[in-house]
Amino acid sequence: MKVSLNWLRDFVDIDVTEDELCARLVSCGFEVEEVIRLADNCKRVVVGRIEGLEKHPDADKLQICRINVGDEVIQIVTGANNIKVGDLIPVALDNSYLPTGTKIKKGKLRGVESNGMLCSGEELKLTEADYQGAGEYGILILREDYPLGMDINEVFGNNDVVLDIGVTANRPDCNSVIGIAREVATLLKKPLKMPKMTYKVNSSDISEYVTVDVKATDLCPRYMASVVKNIKIGDSPKYIQNRLKAVGLRPINNIVDITNYVLIEMGQPMHSFDRDRLCGSKIVVRRADEGEKIVTLDNKEHTLDSSMLVIADSEKPQCVAGVMGGLGSGISEETNTVVFESAKFMRDNIRRTSRKLNLRSDSSFRFERGIDIATQEYGMRRALALIDECGCGEIVCGTIDVLSASLEKKTVTTTFEKIDSILGIKVPETVVVDILNSLSIETEVKDGVITAVAPLFREDIENANDLAEEIIRLYGYDHINCTLIDKGKQTLGGKPEDVKDVDRIRNILVANGMSETLTYSFTSPKIFDILTIKEDSGLRNTVKLLNPLGEDLSVMRTTLAYSIMNTMRSNIVKSVKCGRFFEIANVYLPKDMPVSEQPDEIRHVVMGVFGRDEDFYSMKGIVENILDKFGIVDAEYEYTSLEWLHSGRGADIKVGNDILGYVGEVHPTVLNNLGIKEKLYIADINIETLGAVKNTQYVFESIPKYPSVERDIAVLVKESVSAKNIIKTVKTAGGNLLKSVDIFDVYRGGQVAKGMKSVAISLEFRLPDRTLTEEEVNQKINKILKRLEVDLEATLR
Amino acid sequence: MQEKIKTLISNAKNALKSAANMSDLNSVKVAFLGKSGELTSVLRGMKDVPNDKKPLIGKLVNEARDAIQSFIQEKERILIAKETAEKLEKEKIDVTFKGTKKELGSLHPCTLVIEEILDIFTNLGFTVKHGPEVETDFYNFQALNIPKDHPAREMQDTFYITEDLLLRTHTSPVQVRTMQSVKPPIRVVNPGKVYRPDDDATHSPMFQQIEGLVVDEGITMCDLKGILEEFAKRLFNDPNAKTRLRPSFFPFTEPSVEVDVTCSMCHGKGCRLCKGTGWIEVLGAGIVNPKVLENSGIDPEKYSGFAFGLGIERIAMIKYGIPDMRMLFENDIRFLKQFK
Repeated sequence: MKVSLNWLRDFVDIDVTEDELCARLVSCGFEVEEVIRLADNCKRVVVGRIEGLEKHPDADKLQICRINVGDEVIQIVTGANNIKVGDLIPVALDNSYLPTGTKIKKGKLRGVESNGMLCSGEELKLTEADYQGAGEYGILILREDYPLGMDINEVFGNNDVVLDIGVTANRPDCNSVIGIAREVATLLKKPLKMPKMTYKVNSSDISEYVTVDVKATDLCPRYMASVVKNIKIGDSPKYIQNRLKAVGLRPINNIVDITNYVLIEMGQPMHSFDRDRLCGSKIVVRRADEGEKIVTLDNKEHTLDSSMLVIADSEKPQCVAGVMGGLGSGISEETNTVVFESAKFMRDNIRRTSRKLNLRSDSSFRFERGIDIATQEYGMRRALALIDECGCGEIVCGTIDVLSASLEKKTVTTTFEKIDSILGIKVPETVVVDILNSLSIETEVKDGVITAVAPLFREDIENANDLAEEIIRLYGYDHINCTLIDKGKQTLGGKPEDVKDVDRIRNILVANGMSETLTYSFTSPKIFDILTIKEDSGLRNTVKLLNPLGEDLSVMRTTLAYSIMNTMRSNIVKSVKCGRFFEIANVYLPKDMPVSEQPDEIRHVVMGVFGRDEDFYSMKGIVENILDKFGIVDAEYEYTSLEWLHSGRGADIKVGNDILGYVGEVHPTVLNNLGIKEKLYIADINIETLGAVKNTQYVFESIPKYPSVERDIAVLVKESVSAKNIIKTVKTAGGNLLKSVDIFDVYRGGQVAKGMKSVAISLEFRLPDRTLTEEEVNQKINKILKRLEVDLEATLR
Repeated sequence: MQEKIKTLISNAKNALKSAANMSDLNSVKVAFLGKSGELTSVLRGMKDVPNDKKPLIGKLVNEARDAIQSFIQEKERILIAKETAEKLEKEKIDVTFKGTKKELGSLHPCTLVIEEILDIFTNLGFTVKHGPEVETDFYNFQALNIPKDHPAREMQDTFYITEDLLLRTHTSPVQVRTMQSVKPPIRVVNPGKVYRPDDDATHSPMFQQIEGLVVDEGITMCDLKGILEEFAKRLFNDPNAKTRLRPSFFPFTEPSVEVDVTCSMCHGKGCRLCKGTGWIEVLGAGIVNPKVLENSGIDPEKYSGFAFGLGIERIAMIKYGIPDMRMLFENDIRFLKQFK
């Protein structure tokens, strides 16, 4: 809400500085977002008088002027030719600043010193409406006599200060000058001065001119209409134009300007109809017929539906109620008789209509936030008083007022004790009463019980908490002390197990050199094609946004695979040579299609590595680290069928019947789709499943008393024999004596025949109750070798 | 005989003096104390000593052996020390060369902030709780005293999925879910992702918040201020940090406040970060609106509470001096690695 200080001064005597006023407003809940000094647009431009004129020696079109600017006479070179000695003109001095954004500095023009610039109306952003002659080509010649050296802002009344005030949604009453003025009056303990609200009327009666029929009283609890005849359309007074401009509205003509003025001043949107263009001289407030059409003032045609409220004449809609008027009944040069509307429309309805039609206006803005039931009358009286003051027409006697809502004020009953218990401090009773009264909340106290009657413009006040807020914002929040829930009960606090799981994963991954990333939860539906996911895959069932920021951010991701690949890609294109990344985030899996209920949100960790030192096994090692941390010893890796992974270098991670996730090299087609040549290795673990199968409880196991015997063997097997099979075979043959088995090297080439590999296996034997003999170990190894030979055609190397 | 012993000692001394290493020393040992060494030969001469002198000479010989032995030990110590020193000198390496290590990874700056905040609040007795990101209109708005078509919805533009489903615009729905499932005393913090259709240098369509909620008997505005001031002191590691409450509006709290904290950069003197005010705006908070308690099945006559919320990205930017919010989502490894 932009408020002009000059305007505000009509309502309150402000005897503090602007800074002080702003600080006080902030302290009571009105953030001052910006202080705009209109004079700042135009600096060091003063009134000057031309004392002498001579031709420039080296330029035909230039003149050298001597100008008296009050305390000195300066020389300026100008190209203008509409000036003569004795003229008063606006002079931009050295280091001056014009409203056009231009800075003026002294310099030389064709070798002659020039200490500034003479200004045209255009350069001062003035029009004929602002000052007669300002629209003419050439230097602006001032007609009146002004002291030399006077700031030009003074001449044009360009001295207002505008505060841009943030008004919270609970205070729609403050989207007006009078609303802010009430707050300021309370803050400064000054009386509120009301502007002129009275006017002369002529002898004719309004019933001769217009009738009002409110059919939809549920959407329009109050509709007031007045008539002004013999309208003289013209410019509005300068102070009105200046104030409207100061708050960002363009002056149009006296009628429109007055309705806009009342909108800003009283917060009441007004509308004016050309009475002669209303069929049947009737105003009907009704719901639109389905499919009914209207062309609004912005020259756009809209199709209406029956949820929308219109102001119609006897035939067709003339205005989308509270949003925008129709072109057909607008004010024009020919208008003779005007019907003024001052109404209250329900905010929900206006909001919906405005959104459906995609049509916003200063009116709809205010109606959406809510306008109280008393303001229509203030608005109408004020508008008519201004019509009278400006002499724009004759006001017809009588105002139609169709009121279907109650004008009864709301009462809140509470106690001092209750207020204090909300705030945690003791506010003196007299302070409470004084503050409420100063806010026009009529307060009566009896036996500690407060009966507070809120004025109609404070629709937000409903309970004791609302009163407590009013009291503390004016009493001052610096009265609030610091206590640490002294009366509350002790609580344990902490992280639940699933949150701790995430912490465990993060610790492991950071120790593995991985950097955590953060990407958007929404993604493009195209990623499924990039990942070559099958058309009938469940992953293509997504939660879709109705109003995404763009197609690329329109569906909630069902896999994190693309996100981690894209993170790596974005680094690769920046010439990063290697990297390790992870992200912990949800995937969103619809329970039904089309989506009608909340989807499953499953937390996953996705990991990705690339670079010279990375391969499938470096990625898998990180996965194994996580599984180690979660006490999972029986994970199985089976070739995956996931579309985005290399079928020979990708595995599903299984624990029992649960699929925990996957690890693998990204499929070359997908890499190609991503437009990168580097190999990417990724892995994903479902954290919820991990939490369900984990074994993080530490249980002590006694340290072996007897030494173990360690032996290494190397066997030759076919390429197709998997490590898993070898270990399984060794374990079966090894029995209880064998405590651990590990493949620590695989060798190909050299003396190893093609299609074969040499596998080095380390074995550890131990008994709990005695030391093993050499003989026992040898027997066991022979048994293992025999089994490897029988089952896997392995030969000792 | 006595002379001989004396000479023996001094010879041993001299021999030791010229022993340069352990093998020299060994030769000396053998030469003087060995089976056919000089001392043994003196002992052999004992049979020729008159009986009355034998005790004296015997004593002298023993003394001589002890002396020589201690000289040898002394020399041995010196030589070992010398040889060790030489060995170490030979093994000398460049200690300024880098160590063998696995490079550390890094947590996202937002995670660092969240973890720090969760630590503070869990230590103050708060439990961490998560809630769904795809929410219903009821939990995200209606239960929080934001009815359909209420102007307060204007404060939060929303991504919709259906008329009734949306991406939560704040973490506040977890308040309601918590109050429905847990009876007071309640102290929870809810971190999480939230969504609003804004995208510029200071807004991201996805960002993270932490919401806090306390519900118990006798909770007041002073408790709110006390807890949040304690939080500010710990978060910015400034025991003198203060908070300032400014009136504001949130539909789900009444009274509502913005909470400013002493600027962490200038400690209140005024600087670029706080735009000269000495304060930075960190939290929104307030006394839980009794209507919200009621909507969540908590008796507002018996219980009261306070709630607060803060944006993680903003804190991360303040704490680490990150100039542009978008950097948090670009995942440039050169950025991420700064938070090892």
